[in-house]
Amino acid sequence: MIALSVAAVLAVFLVYTSFAGGSTPSVQPSELAGQSGTVQLGGMVVDDVTGDARGDGLRFSLKDRDGPGIVKVVYTGSVPDLFKPGREVMLKGKLDGDTFVAEPDSLVTKCPSKYAPDKGS
Amino acid sequence: MPLLGRAALVVVLGLVAYAAVAGAYAAFTGKRRLIESARNALYAALAAAGVASLVLLVAMGTRDLGFVYVADHTSKELPLRYALSAFWSGQEGSLLLWLLILLGMSCAAIALNGRLTRRVLPWTVPILGGIATFFAVLLVFVANPFATQAAPADGAGLNPSLQNPYMLAHPPLLYLGYVGLTIPFAFAMAALASKRTDERWIIATRRWTLAAWTFLGIAILLGAKWAYEEVGWGGWYAWDPVENAALMPWIVATAYLHSVMVQEKKDMLRVWNVILVAGAFALSLFGTFLTRSGILSSIHSFTESSIGPWFLGFITLVLAASIALIIWRLPLLRSRTRLESLVSREAAFLYNNLFLVAFALTVLWGVLYPILSDAVRGVTVTVGAPYYDFFAIAFGLPIVLLMGLGPLVAWRRASLRALGRAVAWPAAVALLAGVLLLLAGAGSSPAGLVGYTFAAFVLAAIVLEFARGTRARKATGSETWLGAFSGLVGRNRRRYGGYVVHAAIVLLMLGAIGIGAFSTTTEGDLAPGERMEVGAYTLTYRGMTETRGPNAVERRARIAVERDGKDLGVIEPGKNSYLAEQQVSNEVAIRSDPLRAEDLFLIADQFSGDDVFLKAIVNPLVNLIWLAGLVFLAGAAVAMWPDAREARRLARRFAAEDPALARA
Repeated sequence: MIALSVAAVLAVFLVYTSFAGGSTPSVQPSELAGQSGTVQLGGMVVDDVTGDARGDGLRFSLKDRDGPGIVKVVYTGSVPDLFKPGREVMLKGKLDGDTFVAEPDSLVTKCPSKYAPDKGS
Repeated sequence: MPLLGRAALVVVLGLVAYAAVAGAYAAFTGKRRLIESARNALYAALAAAGVASLVLLVAMGTRDLGFVYVADHTSKELPLRYALSAFWSGQEGSLLLWLLILLGMSCAAIALNGRLTRRVLPWTVPILGGIATFFAVLLVFVANPFATQAAPADGAGLNPSLQNPYMLAHPPLLYLGYVGLTIPFAFAMAALASKRTDERWIIATRRWTLAAWTFLGIAILLGAKWAYEEVGWGGWYAWDPVENAALMPWIVATAYLHSVMVQEKKDMLRVWNVILVAGAFALSLFGTFLTRSGILSSIHSFTESSIGPWFLGFITLVLAASIALIIWRLPLLRSRTRLESLVSREAAFLYNNLFLVAFALTVLWGVLYPILSDAVRGVTVTVGAPYYDFFAIAFGLPIVLLMGLGPLVAWRRASLRALGRAVAWPAAVALLAGVLLLLAGAGSSPAGLVGYTFAAFVLAAIVLEFARGTRARKATGSETWLGAFSGLVGRNRRRYGGYVVHAAIVLLMLGAIGIGAFSTTTEGDLAPGERMEVGAYTLTYRGMTETRGPNAVERRARIAVERDGKDLGVIEPGKNSYLAEQQVSNEVAIRSDPLRAEDLFLIADQFSGDDVFLKAIVNPLVNLIWLAGLVFLAGAAVAMWPDAREARRLARRFAAEDPALARA
């Protein structure tokens, strides 16, 4: 009986994960080349943030945490409080030509200083 | 002063290590005086940990910036209450708080349970001592809260988003919950070690488990309230790994609270219960590990730190030792009774347990999958809200249905016809509610509609249970309705307190579905004087103000709110720029409508010139989530309330087996 229920629960689980996927690949700018679908892009914001997130889009570049990769990003939607050059951020979206087009409102900052002081800046 | 704190910690380490080692030796050999000595070492350790905590607390209060920890987490302008709360805002302080609570709870549990679990206690002491030793080692060798430096001009300050009243209460309550789960674990393992695997350890720790589970539940809700008001994206729970870290042990503890009733009543599920207790404790350690190790690329990922491997090692040790102990004592844990029917109260408990544990495991998988995928395949992935939402619905709805059905099913075996009769009324209420909601337009979210129908079913079943019980007592002689009602609840505190908690879960679900499935959002750029519509509300932007607060520049958009032509006054979303911390923080404005339980939620997303980009959300029924917290607390209090009659009954029951109890 128990075995049967466990099997049923497991079946539901496997069906879901195999069909719906359930997870998005998470990459850095340098790993972006081979990706065709929607991905989660994480990296560090580089100087020169231009444009308007509530207009035709906020434009900036993201670079690898510790690597050579860099990519241009365009984003619309709300900008988290902690967004600024030097911060690590994550966005969801797709590469279109040489620019990573992020989904609206997908920008989150990864704050190293949530509980501990940010000694770097 | 720092020297005193550090010395106190070293003393704690010595005492708890002694309690662990000498206590284990004493329990093994049965040396009575050594057993007492180990126990007293725990008491003394509590006092020493109290001294260490006091030193840190005073340093926080006086902003003694010579302490690295104080300088890193406070500043001179920080209000006193937040300076004190910064005690648990960092890793070192958090670990110290954990140790302090652990020792406090250990001593209380040992002192209060001397009689019922006399034979188990000698083993409880070294187990608790061992766990405390782990934390003491961390504090002495890895994360020293008393490190000193030449005092800087000012401290780094406290993260603005933590300068919030909810953050005064959330972390300590969370720790009370996490640490509280240590007590049933220690007693369970001690029961196994001492071969006393009857249900006495369960009875002795029942209230401890309930209390830990209550603290954890309230802490999760306070965290959600904080996220709702302070993080301010318009939601309350985001399936972030750190949130899940607290949710998982809570779910497993919920399963355990249900399955112990089966063991007490039918002497079944002994092995299962021990596994659940060990699982809940391991998950509470895992939760601490997640929040403190920086292993996850979560938006919360607090800090990269050196304690990660220590925690991983300790969790592995705890799991290995628990599993070994359970396997070793397996012959003692064999149940003498078996499940008689698939339609019975115990079967309903079993289903509930399977769904709860399955849900906890899927959440665990969602948290672990990114880490495992990275380690094994070298591909980093993130698991998002759709995954969790799917399972919350797939497993949540059956759990809710069982919440209504379970209490209506008889123990041992129930005929389907009797069950049908019992279910008739609640089912009718649920169908009626479903049809009415469909007509009102709730069909826009099928899952939401099903959820609301189930909720109506459970609420009807709960009301029916109270009504039936009260009527039965009235019939057997209670003079007033009120007397019959209070007698009913008073004599079956756990049962009726449990029903109140069920009602709280239903309220929570109503609110969660309201915000999850039926909220409306409008956003746009507003110049002064411009209007915007959201739901039934009309918003008018009256312009911007800027003031200098105690430690921040506060910028606000003045928004006049109308609903159905009625003026509801002005609310002011905005942004604070904190000076010492050099950070901006969103300050959302929320207007709650108590009658509709609805919130108008405003975010001033961006100021440009005199314009504001405003995001307005209407969250229907969201206030039921917070109301659920109060009802949950009330139900848990009823279930936990001391019961002299029950204590006497237990004393009589175990007196036959243990003469020492008869004297008590």
